[in-house]
Amino acid sequence: MPAQDVRELRIVGFLCNWCSYGGADTAGVGRFTQPTDLRIIRVPCSGRIDPLFIVRALMNGADGVLVSGCHPRDCHYAEGNFYARRRLEMLKRFLPITGIDERRFEYTWVSASEGQRWQHVVTEFTRRIHELGPAPSFNPKSDVDWNALAVQASQGQGCPCHGSIQA
Amino acid sequence: MRIGVFICHCGSNIAGTVDCPSVAATALTYPDVVFSTDTMYACSEPGQDAIIQAVKDKNLDGVVVASCTPRMHEQTFRRAVERAGLNRYMFEMANIREHVSWIGKTKDLNTGKAAELVRMAVEKLRRNRPLMAKRFETTKRVLVIGGGVAGIQAALDCADGGQEVVLVEREQSIGGKMAKLDKTFPTVDCSSCVLGPKMVDIAQHPNITLYTCAEVESVGGYVGNFQVTVRRKATHVDWTKCTGCGLCVEKCPSRKHPDPFNENLCNAPSINIPFPQAIPKKAAINASSCLMLTKGKCGLCAKVCPVKCIDFEQKDELVNVDVGAIVVATGYDLFDWHKYPQYGEGRYKDVITSLQYERLLSASGPTGGHIKRPSDGKEPKNVVFIQCVGSRDKSVNRPYCSGFCCMYTAKQAILTKDHIPDSQSYVFYMDIRSPGKLYDEFVRRAMEEYGAQYVRGRVAMIYPKGDKLVVRGADTLAGTQVEVPADLVVLAVGAESAKGAVQLGEKLRVAPDQYGFFVESHPKLKPVETNTAGVFLAGACQGPKDIPASVGQGSAAASKVLGLLSKAMLESDPAVSRVNPARCVGCGKCIQTCPFGAIKEIQDRFGNPKAEVIDTVCQGCGICTVTCPQGAIQLEHFTDNQILAEVNALCPPKMFANFE
Amino acid sequence: MSQLDDLKTAIKSRLGDLECVIGWEQGYDPLHATPLFIRSEADLDRLIIGPLAVHNLATYLTGWKGKKVGVVVKGCDSKSVIELLNEKLINRDDVVIFGLCCDGVVSQRKIRAALPADPGFVESVEIGADSLKVTVAGQAATLRLDDVRADKCRVCDTPDALVSDFLIGKAHTPAPAPSLKCQDEFEAKSDAEKFAFWQETMGRCIRCYACRNACPMCVCRDYCIATSRDPLWVSQENLPSENMMFQMIHVSHLAGRCTECGECERACPVDIPLMLLRRYMNKQVRDVFQHEAGKALDQTPPLLTFKVEEERINERGW
Repeated sequence: MPAQDVRELRIVGFLCNWCSYGGADTAGVGRFTQPTDLRIIRVPCSGRIDPLFIVRALMNGADGVLVSGCHPRDCHYAEGNFYARRRLEMLKRFLPITGIDERRFEYTWVSASEGQRWQHVVTEFTRRIHELGPAPSFNPKSDVDWNALAVQASQGQGCPCHGSIQA
Repeated sequence: MRIGVFICHCGSNIAGTVDCPSVAATALTYPDVVFSTDTMYACSEPGQDAIIQAVKDKNLDGVVVASCTPRMHEQTFRRAVERAGLNRYMFEMANIREHVSWIGKTKDLNTGKAAELVRMAVEKLRRNRPLMAKRFETTKRVLVIGGGVAGIQAALDCADGGQEVVLVEREQSIGGKMAKLDKTFPTVDCSSCVLGPKMVDIAQHPNITLYTCAEVESVGGYVGNFQVTVRRKATHVDWTKCTGCGLCVEKCPSRKHPDPFNENLCNAPSINIPFPQAIPKKAAINASSCLMLTKGKCGLCAKVCPVKCIDFEQKDELVNVDVGAIVVATGYDLFDWHKYPQYGEGRYKDVITSLQYERLLSASGPTGGHIKRPSDGKEPKNVVFIQCVGSRDKSVNRPYCSGFCCMYTAKQAILTKDHIPDSQSYVFYMDIRSPGKLYDEFVRRAMEEYGAQYVRGRVAMIYPKGDKLVVRGADTLAGTQVEVPADLVVLAVGAESAKGAVQLGEKLRVAPDQYGFFVESHPKLKPVETNTAGVFLAGACQGPKDIPASVGQGSAAASKVLGLLSKAMLESDPAVSRVNPARCVGCGKCIQTCPFGAIKEIQDRFGNPKAEVIDTVCQGCGICTVTCPQGAIQLEHFTDNQILAEVNALCPPKMFANFE
Repeated sequence: MSQLDDLKTAIKSRLGDLECVIGWEQGYDPLHATPLFIRSEADLDRLIIGPLAVHNLATYLTGWKGKKVGVVVKGCDSKSVIELLNEKLINRDDVVIFGLCCDGVVSQRKIRAALPADPGFVESVEIGADSLKVTVAGQAATLRLDDVRADKCRVCDTPDALVSDFLIGKAHTPAPAPSLKCQDEFEAKSDAEKFAFWQETMGRCIRCYACRNACPMCVCRDYCIATSRDPLWVSQENLPSENMMFQMIHVSHLAGRCTECGECERACPVDIPLMLLRRYMNKQVRDVFQHEAGKALDQTPPLLTFKVEEERINERGW
């Protein structure tokens, strides 16, 4: 893997084909300059976006994940973004317990005509991710880390309440 | 797998900020890539031929093109790949123009990003599999929503092309806004004389079924096979019997509600035929003002009706129609100018809209074609026209130009002089926008031959002085403030989306833009198509348009419909969901969440419940795939593994130890 | 008659129409219970209930789908039954529910921690009104039941079965603690601390899938996406990230469905406090959808439906 450019962090975008991908295209056609960190994965509908794709990206070391779909009521498939909204909101609210900064994940709505809004969303989100800096890796980086983790694990630092009787 | 990668320069559009040869060289290091090159214009004929040649020469079984957005040329390249003998789904596109070269300024970052997008496309392609389309029959019938000039034209062209047409109009008569106009620019010919014959054609055409006083209640199905429910609102008149004699209209004692056809300039009887040329020429009762329906006494119309067609008990009726295609031609409405304090917010009777003025000019209007101002019925001598009322104004969220107001204002200035030779017209304008055949000449005639005084500037206020209104505004060319005493002020109000357009859009799954106008598939190349297959746009529902443009779009939409329905069979998109029965536990969660009813429960040979997708109904949204915890139902071409491959290509999993 | 006798009478009355009735019996030692599949009246003698009968037997119901079975459930277990019914994963007609009014169960883990040394094989257990006398290697230790009660019992507001054909025992007036101290403390930690905690605990995970197999709502069984190649969500690598990915799949698939029975955590052989994740997710579901899985019949899991206007989601707020 090539050494990562320090100017760029890894941001993955999941965009629905009909609205937000079109909005990103509109931004391109309008030459609305944006940071280059974002890599966009095209899906038919925000309803196709499994929150676990986002978790997978974060577990693989993504520094940020941005999801965008059609505005509520404007879904090309009528209801996809309504389901997406519930699923994504649950993920966003869940992240804090895992210790992953929930600001690394955001979801929003951008229509095909909102090129400028897309530019704003990308610029803002990228700025935020750069403020947060590179995401910590869930996995040990070296043999030393790995051994340290193994020692910790063998000592069984379980749930704070498991070691003591008081709950 | 043997994958070929083609990096398009798009002239300098991509090559200007992306090092295309370097991206091509990097791509060669990706798994399964056996051929990689850059090309000047991949979409051009030589570009496509080169792809086809490479597929044959290098024995490729998958192609990646990195160029513009797949929303632009995915179909183009899929066809090229197909010509080369591959399945059209063994192709992936990386968008390195709209998402890279046009938005990023730094060449090395752009080049790196482009290379990664290509890697993502390659990884996805490695998990693609050939998909075959299913074929299905279509219903040879068209629904046209809206009976203005655009809808009329679309309906007539479809009907002449041999298709059955159902035309649904919300109002009592077809004709739309054009039927209210007196004359049309730039020829100054009589609007109803031009439109009238077309309206009659609608009524008489054997292929056209007309429902007026009707609205679309619900739309189901998909291209080729829509199921539409139309609500025919109660008119309380049996139209199969009504002859349109007008006796009831004459005798109706309730004349207290304003006449919408005459833009509320006068009152209308509670049972009415809106105008002499109305199609269908049938009477209808206004339920909110009819004495019999509101108070239970009167019934005079029923007594005088010679054919006894009055039915006070009539209820709304729902009609189901199956159609293969839908044309939306719901037109526009006028901006509500009362939001502007400077024009009096409705306090001054002699401040009227251009469409009201049109009714004053019309021989079939409330004044019989004599210009009489609303306050005292006097003939105005000084008429002030104010342009851009609700157009090009961010403060009222109408930043767009309505396009036709400059022209109709010039027309109205000319007509004013024709009606009242000793009158003087003043026009406050921002810019004159008169592109179009004979349009600018027409505006010049208004100024030069008809002596209309054009003042470039906005109006700051209107205030009453005696029986006149004083219009105070800026003359930005002279750099002074001007005050014009006016007998009548005509506001050139702009167009906004028709009332209910957004709700209709929800039913049709056609997205409106931020102002409520429907969004076309492509602003230049697909102006009448929408993103919902089988639904087409005509006229001002897509954006403000004058008559020639609306008629042109009506015909364009009709030609698209005829093209669609001329095919004996349509092909369904094979990128639909598919159930792996082995994994399916038959919990039915997918059935519960599918918005289209495209999944049904079946029983396998052991009697276990399983889900099954109805191919032609499935729209390929993938909601079910996310719903299914076992991953048993997968959206083809966007399977979990395909999307995961893209994620892994962008964020390579960090391995602690490499076991390879 | 005691609660156990009442239960035996009830089971006896229906045993004839059923393939089996699922209850508990003593396991390898007097401290540990194990599920009992009662097929004849003779089996009934082995039936036990009480604080040691910890298992959520609703877990077995989907495996018996299509056959008529009976199941003994505590209050918490009954929520799992309700959720399974709501999701049409089992048929009400096929299940006879023997509901208990439950006084709470113990946490084996807490007993182990409270004893002076790892007990290994326990010789005898005497259950008193509010104490537990455990004899190991001839030495007796008395533990206060309150001290070794399972976490879920401290916050339990449904001690009595919510759905049943027979409700056995005296009804309770539950007085649950508002929250668990360990949960509150953990949630209050910084992101970095929480992240390090999961990194360490997931480093321990041996991906034995005991948590999944014990979970009454995990109905995919052989087709769990965590152990499949198509789709391939989790790699075979034994990395904290892959283990966490598996747990995230479990959490995600349980969002709005988890009844907080605690079986995952109880089953974990390496003491991963999985309930920290479950309870947190359930709190979010309660906050946003005002939904508690298994609390009422005929509820739709919140992620399988939607509202056009979501009052409690401010998706445009950033």
